[in-house]
Amino acid sequence: MGASVKAPITRNQKWWGLLFVSPAVLFFAVFAIFPILFGSYLSLTRYNLLTPPVYIGFKNYFALAHDRKFLLSLRNTGVFVLGSTVPIWIGSLLLALVFDSKIPGRTVWRALFFLPVLPPLIVVAVVWKVILHPYGMVTAVLSPFTGLGEIPWLTDPHLSPILLIAINNWTMIPFFAMIWLAGLAAIPDELRYASALDGANSAQTFFLVILPLLKRTAVLVAALSTINAFQAFILQYELTPDKGGPADTNLTLGLLIWKYGFQYFRMGDAAAASVVLFAIILLVTLIQLILGRSKY
Amino acid sequence: MNRSSREKSRSPLARQWLGTLIVAAFALAFAFPVYFMVSSAFKAENEILAIPIHLVPYEFAGLEEFRRAMEIAPLGNYVWNSALVSFVNVVCTLLLSAMAGYGFAKFDLPFKNFLFFFVISTMMIPQQILVVPLFVEIKYFGWVNTYWGLIVPGLMNAFGVFMMRQFIAEVPNEIIEAGRADGASEVQIFVILVLPLLLPALASLAIIIFIWSWGNFLWPLVAVTNEKLAVLAVGITNYTQPYQRQPMWGAAMAAATLTTLPVLIVFLAFQRHFVKGITAAAIKG
Repeated sequence: MGASVKAPITRNQKWWGLLFVSPAVLFFAVFAIFPILFGSYLSLTRYNLLTPPVYIGFKNYFALAHDRKFLLSLRNTGVFVLGSTVPIWIGSLLLALVFDSKIPGRTVWRALFFLPVLPPLIVVAVVWKVILHPYGMVTAVLSPFTGLGEIPWLTDPHLSPILLIAINNWTMIPFFAMIWLAGLAAIPDELRYASALDGANSAQTFFLVILPLLKRTAVLVAALSTINAFQAFILQYELTPDKGGPADTNLTLGLLIWKYGFQYFRMGDAAAASVVLFAIILLVTLIQLILGRSKY
Repeated sequence: MNRSSREKSRSPLARQWLGTLIVAAFALAFAFPVYFMVSSAFKAENEILAIPIHLVPYEFAGLEEFRRAMEIAPLGNYVWNSALVSFVNVVCTLLLSAMAGYGFAKFDLPFKNFLFFFVISTMMIPQQILVVPLFVEIKYFGWVNTYWGLIVPGLMNAFGVFMMRQFIAEVPNEIIEAGRADGASEVQIFVILVLPLLLPALASLAIIIFIWSWGNFLWPLVAVTNEKLAVLAVGITNYTQPYQRQPMWGAAMAAATLTTLPVLIVFLAFQRHFVKGITAAAIKG
């Protein structure tokens, strides 16, 4: 833990220390820890916001286990997570290497490459809604090959999940490339020269010298992108018909929580789904922590 | 890496040209949708979906689409609400994080480790899991559809405490002890001696919190249904609803550009801090 003051501490100073941390502690008690406990309680109740919650034990969880929408949302979330993790890890690392190369105008190219990080995700959704308009630009560009004048990109049950992943990756790859680039910048050039002097080629230098030094970055990228993907919500909310359609093909767990809670006012079910999502995210984080600690 | 000694023989100039070409192609491909958003905000409505694509507005519409966006929805309110929420969130998070970080780094507190873990553990809790119970809690407080409900749950961020503690731990104890020896009060020591040393870290934290707060969607969507209190991130969806009779993609792109603008300004003005801020977790983690 952090350094502490070595000089003798008066009781008075101890109180000052408590005073400094107390607003934060109080805040997190009221707006983070309490809601988690309260949410766990709500998941054991039937509650529609109008009449007081009624305790019903684990019924909500049993109901979820047979709930077609919930099971579908698990599947859809899984698909989104698969599409938004491994491709992002590989894509962001490769592009970080590309943008790490020393070429003229590097700062400008990098700034352009980072642009997709800037718009908030809801703005990303709005912009892609226009780009992927059925009569829009992508349809037009592809029409010589498809022969179609109208393509329902976001309302097609097969195309839309893939496109949502692609849009997500478009904004997340530069973001994670930024993190890789920070990791790469921390590696002294001498190591690369030394490796080259020893007769290693670029690939050997990368895999044997550079990559092992990026392990902490790799763990971070893996953890952040996975946790992020499990919370998929905004793109699905804004870009798909009936928020999660067609026929619930884009209904993710995050969207289901919102729908149950704030469209159907089934707070108990929504709270139970939240607990499930929390358990999944904790489990995945734990696995990644354990993998991150282990040696290559 | 691409200049190891053996490869130098293969015409370095050609290699560099090829490298530049690849970099440029990726940069332009990733940047294009953002360019499309900004350029469309200045096009006439019928140009936005025009085929072939108008790369630049043929008929520069000026601020017409921004004006239309204000007609269709209370865009001014959205901007004000977003600015207010972000400003309060940033100021409070900086102050409270620095205070807590100072307390945890430089004082011997009872239950220090427990309290620190208590705060840091909340970093693990995603917003989506909090949204249902937090809404019920806010409802008990009578804060639904108020600025209180919109702002207060975002006043703090555990990452801020974590980051500040890391930075303050490196502040030499001698500075604090010298202050005490000179008879400065604990508040004076914190404000006059410690805070100025944290400015670079506070700048990075401010950028992170601003971007997070400005783009935050889920909580404002749930906490507020009154159009007058909506933030930009939520209000912008009003321009893309399919049931709207008239196409208003121009207004949508104008609002989208407006929503991105503050982040872009922060990015251009503080590019170093921006990247550092965003990757702070990577380095400190």
